[in-house]
Amino acid sequence: MKLSDIIKKYQCHLYTPEIYHDKEITYAFCADLMSDALMVLNSVKDDRVLSECLLITGLTTNQSIRTAEMLDVDIVLLVRGKIPSLKVIDLAKELGIMLMSTEYTMFNTSGMMYADGIKGIIYNQQW
Amino acid sequence: MVREYQIIARNYDLAGRASSDIKRTLKAMNVPWSFQKRVCAASYEAEINVVIHSVGGYATFEVNDQAIILDFYDDGPGIPNIELAMTEGFSTASELDHANGFGAGMGLPNMKRSSDLMTVTSDHEGTHVHLVFLRGKADEK
Repeated sequence: MKLSDIIKKYQCHLYTPEIYHDKEITYAFCADLMSDALMVLNSVKDDRVLSECLLITGLTTNQSIRTAEMLDVDIVLLVRGKIPSLKVIDLAKELGIMLMSTEYTMFNTSGMMYADGIKGIIYNQQW
Repeated sequence: MVREYQIIARNYDLAGRASSDIKRTLKAMNVPWSFQKRVCAASYEAEINVVIHSVGGYATFEVNDQAIILDFYDDGPGIPNIELAMTEGFSTASELDHANGFGAGMGLPNMKRSSDLMTVTSDHEGTHVHLVFLRGKADEK
């Protein structure tokens, strides 16, 4: 699914410029616990998985952006309409990470995306 | 090449700055992607641990032909039982740490999993975490 379609369908609010408009999104992972994201996404075997991945989280602090940076994930989606602080937005801009939010809850966002064909990342994910 | 970074206790705004610089350096060196990710995940967990659990400390990042070596030193209060701290899920983190997405007791186990060699020494004066990532392994070829 194209990122631009996700933005439209999930009525995403963009906090950073839409730099990855045409990007294809094939995978997603959701976590509020950044250690979980680090452990599972670190085990991925193919770099294409993370380059076409969304990190879905309710964590609005710098740490969600830093975690995405460490893993080379380009897009962070905040759920339940959470509003990040300016310093978080600035960090995302500085690192070239697209930060956006949707009003849907984490469960509903994940369920809808799964129904849209976006796959969840599992431990040792192959392409 | 050796670099040193200061790590400030309880400062979540700056937490991850050292790992971010390490990441940029490895990228600039064209170190393979999966190797980069392994080093950075461990580095980030270790850095967060110093922020969460200590009164502050520093990290060193060394690159040589054989390995990438990370050392994290802090000034206490130390880990009373290292074996227990290595258990997945064991944590002494506070609500503030949880609110920042950490403190689930996965830090040390994650570091061990990501690195090729890990040693932890600790007493009341501080903790030293030593992480080695060997170059020339499958993910660095």
